[in-house]
Amino acid sequence: MNLKKLLLNGRVLLLILVIVGSILTIIAQGITYGLDISGGVEITVQLEKPVDQSTMEEVRISLENRLNTLGVKDITLEPWGDQIIKIRVANVTEEEANSIIDTINRQGVFYAEFNGVIFATGADIKRVDQVSYEPREGAWIVPFSISKEAAEKFAQLALGKVSYPVDIFLDPPVNSTLIVSQEIYTLMNSNEFQFVPDAKPLPQRLKEAFNIDVVPYTNQSVEEIAKLAQGKEKVILVGVNGELESTLKNLGIKVEKREPRAGEAADEFIRRILGLYGPYRLQEGLTTGEPHTELAISIGGSKEDIAAMGQAQVVSVVLRSGSLPVKVFVEGVNYIPPTLGEQFRKQVVQAGIVALLVVGLIVYLHYRKARIAIPVVLTSLSEVIAILGVAALIRWNLDLPSIAGIIAAIGTGVDQQIVITDELLGGRKKEKITKRSGILKRMGRAFFVIWASATTTIVAMSFLFKFFVGGLRGFAFTTILGVLIGILITRPAYAEIAKVLLSEER
Amino acid sequence: MLENTLKKLATADPKKMITYPLIVFLVALLILVIHFPTLGTDLKGGVVITIHGGNADAKDVESLLKAENFEVTVREIKSITGDTRVEVRASTDVNVQRIIELIKSKYPDATISQTQFGPSLSRTAQEQSLKAISLAFLGMAVVVFLFFRVPVPSLTVIFSALSDMVIALALMSIFGLELTQATIAALLMLIGYSVDSNILLTTKLLRRKEDTVEEAYFSAVSTGFTMSTTTLGALASLWAISQAEVIDMIAAVLIFGLLADFMNTWILNAGVLRWYIQRGEKK
Repeated sequence: MNLKKLLLNGRVLLLILVIVGSILTIIAQGITYGLDISGGVEITVQLEKPVDQSTMEEVRISLENRLNTLGVKDITLEPWGDQIIKIRVANVTEEEANSIIDTINRQGVFYAEFNGVIFATGADIKRVDQVSYEPREGAWIVPFSISKEAAEKFAQLALGKVSYPVDIFLDPPVNSTLIVSQEIYTLMNSNEFQFVPDAKPLPQRLKEAFNIDVVPYTNQSVEEIAKLAQGKEKVILVGVNGELESTLKNLGIKVEKREPRAGEAADEFIRRILGLYGPYRLQEGLTTGEPHTELAISIGGSKEDIAAMGQAQVVSVVLRSGSLPVKVFVEGVNYIPPTLGEQFRKQVVQAGIVALLVVGLIVYLHYRKARIAIPVVLTSLSEVIAILGVAALIRWNLDLPSIAGIIAAIGTGVDQQIVITDELLGGRKKEKITKRSGILKRMGRAFFVIWASATTTIVAMSFLFKFFVGGLRGFAFTTILGVLIGILITRPAYAEIAKVLLSEER
Repeated sequence: MLENTLKKLATADPKKMITYPLIVFLVALLILVIHFPTLGTDLKGGVVITIHGGNADAKDVESLLKAENFEVTVREIKSITGDTRVEVRASTDVNVQRIIELIKSKYPDATISQTQFGPSLSRTAQEQSLKAISLAFLGMAVVVFLFFRVPVPSLTVIFSALSDMVIALALMSIFGLELTQATIAALLMLIGYSVDSNILLTTKLLRRKEDTVEEAYFSAVSTGFTMSTTTLGALASLWAISQAEVIDMIAAVLIFGLLADFMNTWILNAGVLRWYIQRGEKK
């Protein structure tokens, strides 16, 4: 047997080296699995507009800091292009995933308003300290500091106005008209949002600070509402049903509709649509006219009151969020429970093994020769190992599409091995004695087919790799990798092995 | 029996050979005009909540959610291993967390996964897909031309790749598979598979020196048959064993395309090539 000669052949040697190297890499580095296998959440965050690289980095860091305060482990934030950040968190429960999404959604433009005047924006928030419990007050407090200018402005506004409401807003619907149901209108004007009779009611504060008109819906005609909306950015229908939305839209007015969520109390609903946190009651110490830069928001409740603590944390996140240079919002969510991913991984491994066996069986049935079927299966297996080795080396996140890509590449790989085998066998059937030149010519023809099909696959897949932001880049990546390893390493080696094995026949 | 069929094909009238695949292509086009595959959530935008296990039942889930005025569509998906999963779809403006809470309270043992695609993300995905498909197709055409440098065989190879994709799309529409990023990737992969077999046939027929056209065709088709059956076998085991939707869909589309490719290569392309060679010989 020519085994020794075969092993020393350059192409076969290269294949063996690559396989050994790949196995060592896989053992040393381990394979990193994508979220759809390891379980976790992938959140696609979109920026309001395209930004340059340094702004993107700023957004990334500030999002990261904020998410880290949630106490969730293993968060990766990866910017894609100039407008998207992908956030991946492995191994989280659904509750944790939701709190992450909420926190991202809470980022935005920050305003602090008092009696109809904005006295601070995000830029004025200088520092936000840890949420802590204050036993003397019986409340959770969020200490923070504001700029000197904002403090002075606030001191003047607040002079003598004990117990007046202080509002903080995140992304209020600035410059719009709110058409609200009678019930909501009454609640907005109630003590809940006003605290003392002398203070301005909430709708008036909204009007003066943000040019938001709040209008109760009393079956006004569409024309009347259209008139109210003149010069405004949009009309928001709050708890108002009927055909108002479509008729207003037909007039070319930008209309949005807000409905209370299932189980949401009316006051929570109002806060949500306004982006309002608070209002908070103004303490006496701040009404003397003296500017204070060190402030705190306190939320009453016992030390065991988880809800109060949660609220305080939200406030702290809201205060911090003013520092984001551009608005961001959650565009996509993909949540895979960890147990499910593990199940998928097992199935894919099983499927891969079965697929290889099926391929081997079909090849055997076709040629009736184990000495063809076994090398074909082994070559394909070594291709899988080499792809996994490279993936481990560059720490590619192996997700389900990547694995599908590996199998697709193996599919073309087997095809090409069959082309080589048939060219070798075909020559022998006719000529009986193989001439060296005959083999070369036939191999040349086989490799022409192989190179042509490999080139087209790589060309087609590289466009997929280039243009897709989504997880399917993995599919393109492993396909290209598999085809490259195939034409450069495994196919030439298989040709050598097949030549030796088939010529031994006679 | 198979051998006889192949022999019949090898001696059939080229023009007849061309007609049938063209009719199939036109029927596929017609199907696509009448009913194009629906766009998946990742291209259309929306929310998908999938309930795995926990004995969830589509009708119960639907009434549970409709009772709270959620606008959802619910369907049940059975896999061949007997597991069922229930899929809830809704538009992006629903309160996903509330839906999940409701489902969890009713089916505490179920595992729930969810996917959301906002409108601008899905728009980007649509644009990217269109760009990827058209450029990949153009790239393929250029490569094929560079390799052959003869118009008729090159155009036939390109046309059969197109026909493979069109027929696969039509089959997707018939079997109710959605057009998603995953299925688009599979359609692109078809380009590679299709060129594989077509180039094999074209090289064998055009570069043959020692054999007759019939012999060359016969040897190519036997190689091609082994190639397709191995790939089909691998894809079928993938499809049968895995329950992950991405993998199932990619496998299904590749299977559709390979079946179409079998016809387009060994009947259509072979017919065109034999006609092309006959014409060349007459001159």
